Amino acid sequence: MSAILAQADYPALMSAPTLFHYLVVSAFMFGLGLVGFLTRRNLIIMFLCTELMFQAAGLALVAFSRFHLNHTGETFVIFVLTVAAAEAAMALALVVLLFRRKETLDAERWEEMRG
Amino acid sequence: MGPLINPWLLYGLCAVGAAGVALALPRRGVSPQVVGAGVGGAGLLGVFAALGVSNAAHLPNLHFYLFSAIALGSALRVITHPRPVYAALFFVLTILASCGLYIVLGAEFMGFALVIVYAGAILITYLFVIMLATQAPTADRVDALSEYDRVSREPLVATIVGFLMVGALTGMMARGVGTIPAPAPGADPRAGLLMMLPGKVERELRERALIGRDDVILTASDGLPAMDLAARTVRVGSPGGAEQRTAPIPADVRVSNVEGLAFELIANHPGAIEIAGVILLMAMLGAVVLARKKVDLDEHERPAAFGPGGGHP
Repeated sequence: MSAILAQADYPALMSAPTLFHYLVVSAFMFGLGLVGFLTRRNLIIMFLCTELMFQAAGLALVAFSRFHLNHTGETFVIFVLTVAAAEAAMALALVVLLFRRKETLDAERWEEMRG
Repeated sequence: MGPLINPWLLYGLCAVGAAGVALALPRRGVSPQVVGAGVGGAGLLGVFAALGVSNAAHLPNLHFYLFSAIALGSALRVITHPRPVYAALFFVLTILASCGLYIVLGAEFMGFALVIVYAGAILITYLFVIMLATQAPTADRVDALSEYDRVSREPLVATIVGFLMVGALTGMMARGVGTIPAPAPGADPRAGLLMMLPGKVERELRERALIGRDDVILTASDGLPAMDLAARTVRVGSPGGAEQRTAPIPADVRVSNVEGLAFELIANHPGAIEIAGVILLMAMLGAVVLARKKVDLDEHERPAAFGPGGGHP
């Protein structure tokens, strides 16, 4: 535990992994969320994949916050959490409505809604 | 400062990762998920190894690599697992690994808030809806799952699109991130916040017996606590100010993550908190309105659900 917390001492530069390491992890997580959103056909999993993309954005924000030694990025993560919670409430209410209508979660059953 | 990693190497490793993800996505017939996960993991390992070599002057941080491997591996499982409940549980694992990364980054408050809000609240809501809206499988077999969970839509095209974006993004960042100026060493702008926390300094000094039980931090002529943060000293004395002396502030007395975040939120972004509250209130109202709405089955679905006679009794 002390090894982890020792890094919370805010040294001048980010210790071993640089900012780029975190951004790479964040980009890969975002890419996985994007691929999942495009490929999965279950409505709930599609929304779960948007949460994955939110996570990736949050990780990049915290890494930038740490890099610049201020807390602005972390406050933005609070709003990512807020938007994610609001989105989960609304999206899941919509999913329940759609499920009651067609008894299925298949996104392709709603093809007639294409604009 | 040049690119942190050779761009062509990065693009190649992105392609390897894309091939792994494309193989791991669920599809009709035999889906080579294990092979796909192995190939994707090899791509991730390659990226980490290349980054570690380019950064050999520093000690490798095992926690970072461990947590990010767990996060990305379980993120892959979220998008490939045919069962929605397991996908949601793997997402919880992604959240926990992200929390680990946040703690490595020194953002303890956000890490724990992530566990409480995401893993504790949002994911439980997801699980509820998944259990409400999924037919219970009759046997513990993959075949019992709905067709839309077992077969993914356009796995190849989607993976190519997604990983083209990841390759472009990471390649661009590899060139750009190295040129972002880091803050000057030793100049932590957050250290000044200690001036706002005389009570904390006083408590810490008292616990270490550096000042007497009745001593307090004196107030300077400008109304601020008489602290010299450059020299890390503080003027203390008896409450009346009769006897004064200078006490050192120990090096490990500093503004914690929670205190810094609180000052940032309340002092610099007070309007944003209000907006977040309004967003949450609107979402709650919207969810209540949506959930109360009475919905009938589609005309096309009725015969299927209620037999040829159709309709509600």
